[in-house]
Amino acid sequence: MTDEIAIQFADVTKRYGTAVAVDSISLSITKGEMVTFLGPSGCGKTTSLRLIAGLELPTSGMVRIAGRDVSQRAASERNVGMVFQSYALFPHMNVLENVAYGPMIRGEPKATARERAHEILEQIGLKGLSERLPSELSGGQQQRVAVARAIVQQPDVLLFDEPLSNVDAKLRRKVRGEIRELQKRFGLTAVYVTHDQEEALAVSDRIVVMQAGQIAQIGTPRDLYERPASPFVADFIGDANLVAGHVKDGRFIAADLNLPLAGTDGAAQISLRPERIGIAPGDAGPVGTVRSCTYLGSRWEFEIETGFAELLASRPMTEAPIAPGTRVTLTIPETAPIRVA
Amino acid sequence: MTPDEIRASRAARERLAWLVLLALAVLVLPWHRAMPTDATPLIPSALGLAAEGRGWLWPVVLSLPLLVWAGMRDAAGRLFLGLALAGFVVLVVQGFAVGLRGPAFDGLAAVFPVAAQGQTGFGWGGFVAGLAFLGLIAHTLALRGFCRGDRFSASAVVFIVALLGLFVFFPILKLATAAFVGPDGELALGPFRDRLFAPDIWRLDCLTGGRRCGVVINSLMLGLLAATISTALGLALALIVARTSFRFKQTLRALSILPIITPPFVVGVAIIVLFGRTGLLTQFGAEVFDVRPTRWVYGLTGILMAQVLAFTPITFLVLLGTVEAINPTLEEASQTLGAGPVKTFFKITWPLLRPGIAAAFLLAFIESLADFGNPIVLGGGFEVLSTRIFFAVAGARYDLGHAATLAMLLLSLTLIAFWLQSRWLGRKSYVTVTGKSDAGLASTLPFGLKGVAWAVVIPFVLFTMGVYIVVLVGGFVHDIGRWDLTPTFAHLRTAFAFEIGASGLEFYGSAWNSMKTTLLVSAIAAPLTTAVGIMTAWLVARQDFAGKNAFEFGTMLSFAIPGTVVGVSYVAAFNVPPVDITGTAAILVICFVFRNMPVGMRAGLAAFAQIDRSMEEASQTMGAGGAATLRRVVLPLVKPAVFTALVYSFVTAMTAVSAVIFLVSARHNMATAYIMGRVEAGEYALAITYSTVLMIVMIICIVLIQLLVGARKLGRRREFQGQTTPAE
Amino acid sequence: MRKTTILSATLAGFIAAPIAASADELVLYCSVQEEWCRLMAESFQRETGINVLMTRRSSGETYAQLKAEEGQPRGDVWWGGTGDPHLQAAEEGLTAVYESPMLAELQDWAVSQANASGMRTVGIYAGALGYGFNTELVDDPAPACWADLLDDRFRDDIQVANPNSSGTAYTLLATLVQIMGEDEAFEFLGELDENISQYTQSGAAPIRNAATGETAIGIVFMHDAVAQAVQGAPIAAVAPCEGTGYEIGSMSLVEGGPNPDNARAFYDWALSPEAQALGAEANSFQVPSNRNAPVPPESPALDQITLIDYDFETYGSSDTRQRLLARWDDEIGARR
Repeated sequence: MTDEIAIQFADVTKRYGTAVAVDSISLSITKGEMVTFLGPSGCGKTTSLRLIAGLELPTSGMVRIAGRDVSQRAASERNVGMVFQSYALFPHMNVLENVAYGPMIRGEPKATARERAHEILEQIGLKGLSERLPSELSGGQQQRVAVARAIVQQPDVLLFDEPLSNVDAKLRRKVRGEIRELQKRFGLTAVYVTHDQEEALAVSDRIVVMQAGQIAQIGTPRDLYERPASPFVADFIGDANLVAGHVKDGRFIAADLNLPLAGTDGAAQISLRPERIGIAPGDAGPVGTVRSCTYLGSRWEFEIETGFAELLASRPMTEAPIAPGTRVTLTIPETAPIRVA
Repeated sequence: MTPDEIRASRAARERLAWLVLLALAVLVLPWHRAMPTDATPLIPSALGLAAEGRGWLWPVVLSLPLLVWAGMRDAAGRLFLGLALAGFVVLVVQGFAVGLRGPAFDGLAAVFPVAAQGQTGFGWGGFVAGLAFLGLIAHTLALRGFCRGDRFSASAVVFIVALLGLFVFFPILKLATAAFVGPDGELALGPFRDRLFAPDIWRLDCLTGGRRCGVVINSLMLGLLAATISTALGLALALIVARTSFRFKQTLRALSILPIITPPFVVGVAIIVLFGRTGLLTQFGAEVFDVRPTRWVYGLTGILMAQVLAFTPITFLVLLGTVEAINPTLEEASQTLGAGPVKTFFKITWPLLRPGIAAAFLLAFIESLADFGNPIVLGGGFEVLSTRIFFAVAGARYDLGHAATLAMLLLSLTLIAFWLQSRWLGRKSYVTVTGKSDAGLASTLPFGLKGVAWAVVIPFVLFTMGVYIVVLVGGFVHDIGRWDLTPTFAHLRTAFAFEIGASGLEFYGSAWNSMKTTLLVSAIAAPLTTAVGIMTAWLVARQDFAGKNAFEFGTMLSFAIPGTVVGVSYVAAFNVPPVDITGTAAILVICFVFRNMPVGMRAGLAAFAQIDRSMEEASQTMGAGGAATLRRVVLPLVKPAVFTALVYSFVTAMTAVSAVIFLVSARHNMATAYIMGRVEAGEYALAITYSTVLMIVMIICIVLIQLLVGARKLGRRREFQGQTTPAE
Repeated sequence: MRKTTILSATLAGFIAAPIAASADELVLYCSVQEEWCRLMAESFQRETGINVLMTRRSSGETYAQLKAEEGQPRGDVWWGGTGDPHLQAAEEGLTAVYESPMLAELQDWAVSQANASGMRTVGIYAGALGYGFNTELVDDPAPACWADLLDDRFRDDIQVANPNSSGTAYTLLATLVQIMGEDEAFEFLGELDENISQYTQSGAAPIRNAATGETAIGIVFMHDAVAQAVQGAPIAAVAPCEGTGYEIGSMSLVEGGPNPDNARAFYDWALSPEAQALGAEANSFQVPSNRNAPVPPESPALDQITLIDYDFETYGSSDTRQRLLARWDDEIGARR
């Protein structure tokens, strides 16, 4: 059953007047998978999430959930759970009432609904708080209530709309771990929206990188980091040095840079991750001049001016700092360059 | 059943319910409110009438089987939607095509000879059929993705649009047409031109020493004077409250509510009692100066006094907001730069006050144009547009065309004022509230200015007190008009006598009928007004649908139309089939709902702006449709707005006069219309007594509403306080 | 949930109420003084248990209302007010034919009113037109004729109702036309307009204003002036020396009204001596039309007043009324 498709977008477009928020997207999400929509603001990731929830209806194309066409179906008639950025807890209901709201609305007897809510609250570690009002909870607790409320009805899909943006920076790592753990424990299909690439890498089975309403690339975190399909993806996932040049006879050439690179001849662009660039004083091979050297606690970060690009390089603390103005030789492993264009 | 089947069956059930309703409407329910003459069908429904030869009803009847057939094929399909739309259009068209006295155009009589007998207005059948068609249209639109597929919201949009169309746009359209109808019922430009340019509308004689001016000139003069004076007074009061060490700030704020709950006419009566020819103060003045007392108060002077009394609290509230919003640091900055207090006031404070002054001025101007109660009591021979409109349709020479022309004039003036207001306020931003804490202390008024302010305010306060003392005392003394101050309950008995006789409680007081109607109509209108207002606000704030801007404009339009115009437009539109509802209590309720709904809407919009919309979205993703979301999540959070809207619409319904005066009937008389009759007949004491009773009833009801709505529970923090001040 | 249910139940009942025409009701359009209207409504209600829904409006306004409601009438009985608009309504078929068994007990003038209208209206009282002045405001010599009203000393100090709304004022118009001739009458009214401070809606309002001193003179029916004097106001009633017209206050049944049986019960009752005696109780001193009803001692004695031979048929006809009112609007009303 693991390959069953939970969510499918078939050529989905959403327009607001003349503005296109989502531009003919097609993708499938497998049951039990956690997929993240990642991209800068305005890229259409939140709209895509809302299209799944039914809070927006597509202008054209088809959205399927659990095999059913739900394109014209209201949010209330889809079986989805959603955790909002602001949590959107009902301030006039206590925790238990908030969690029991869904089952009750869907027609379960009040007692059963409350029982279900109690169970979930217990599983999620909020047992003693059920009589509290949302305003009496901490941010982390509110977040967990929001999650409890979203999963209490065993939704076909669980949606997260930037759920960590209101969480203290220090707590984020912990909370995202909890979310991931919960999703796995309940075997839920989850879609997660964020603009934070680190968060995306940490929680996702797969990531959908979006750009201007279209999908830039879909893949596992590792795929995206190591094999970005475009300069945009390379730049957006982690830091990347983009170098333009050309390929001839299996080598990439840009100024004094000359690296082995497979693929067709012609103009090309490569991505070099900062941590893959080695530097040492000297002026053999590709050379550059150190412009700045910044202490970042866990590593050094160098800005280097070369004949082909401004490079960012990061080196472990175990290496020695290099003073600005020093001419350096760059060592780039053969596996480092990734052709992105 | 899977959730899918549940969903499908729920939609199918709703569709079935609409279809059953439609079937009921065309097959069973009486199609007309009263049977047309010579009609003797087996069943009084559309089917029965159609079978009897009134063939123009067949399309409506046949839409039922067609819809059933199309619904079985594809309930969300274009065909079904088209049929529902066509059914509605056919329903409306046939209603207008055959009037009370025959068909509207000759061709129809040739096809259906029976049409010559005419048809009466819609009854239950007609209305329910309209309802069912609209319900089916909304249902299908929602299935096709309208309002994000939420059937409740789709229905709400469709029904509110239909209601606005029927009760706001249609009457105005009908009124505009009536202005072009000549004495013999023909549609032409000539009669309109003659009416529009009649000398008694535009004459300027009074400015050049003649006796009378045209009625538009009178209205404009009155409006400008009333607006100027009440803005000046409001400003003086606001400055005193905000910029001096005045101690009774809260009292003054509380008292500014008084004019809102004061029934019309009573202030006018009190002014006559004080300043009429035999009034206390006129007599006193005449003795002091040894002159013959005159009727000086009747006309412009008296109306002006009453209007200033009523509008100053409004301008005061607007200007107090403006004065308090001025950031004191600006004034401090000016003073540190070397400007004295006088220079600072005129160079800094005054320019910042200007937009507020403009708003207050236009508001008072619009209110003055719309005012009906004061001119009719205090006008003497001085007529304004609103009273002239009334006399044009209330007298023996009923002249709707004349009334309609005047009404269109009044409407144009009001709309121009509204347009000026929005233009003026929209152009410049004078926001000085930055969200940073305002550290400075507000500078006090320059000494001379303070003197002027007090000199203006003290007489005004004394005048207000005098008027309200007369109101309080007048009902319980023998004859306040002649200063016979023997205490008595005779007037109360005349109005509200009752006995417990053999057949139970018997009400003999002459005011009971109107009191009961007023309370009933207000009690029904207030929750409906609130519901429609809040619902409309919710749709505007939270729903996306095609035509939303036009929708919003329409609701605001109904706010701008003066009451007299609404009244006469309702007479023009609803005195004849197909929607023939004059003389019913329903028309009173409807009139209130659509006149006051924009206030509920404003209160709602302000409240929704402060509530995170994702709470409603959360409710929806948890399976709640629009209705459940509204009831369980939205309403509990906007209780203050609900309270404001309830109180406002209740109080307005109790005290409104300008529109209802056209719509009351013997069976459904309203308190204000009754009071107007007493004032006209010179029974001042009775009028005052009734007004006092009304005010007490209103206060009790406001307290009851507060208890009913209750406080909102949001934990320790009390947030989302809706800040709304009704502007009318 | 419960609140909504109650609300909708109330609403349903409220809307349904007018449909299920309530059994024992009478909608009464009344065109005499409010006080008398109230007493009539209350007494009839006490006697029969029929709930009376009464509106007082001037006779001209009531006529306009009947006209507006033509085809779907909402009133049952129109009681009181000058005869002319009643006759006009009868002529236009707005009111119903009814021959009351009480006709035999009535004065001749009341019966002739009924005959003139084809039994669609009937006389219930009579009273002469005149005016009243406030003795504290009017110095000697006291006015005694119509012509005296043109005196400069009464500038802006006379009130009379608007003939469009008030039968009283229409009676004045018709009376002057009959005394002076039409053109001369309008000339007179034009001059009189200089002295008029306000044309009121209701016919008797001018005398009430004279009683409180708001105006010096009110042109009204003499019994209205007497009523103020009886209540202690400094009012003197004048029967103009040139002669004056009079009214036959009338009553009609609305054609097709919702409660015809109750309407006929009221009609018969209102013609009885007992009901007609109520007028004096309510400070209304018209001469009753039932021969057996007591004439109040305060009533201005009709035989001592110079009465013109008022032509009810002509001046109650639709054509004449509309023509005169239109001319009044053009020549007098338009000055306002």
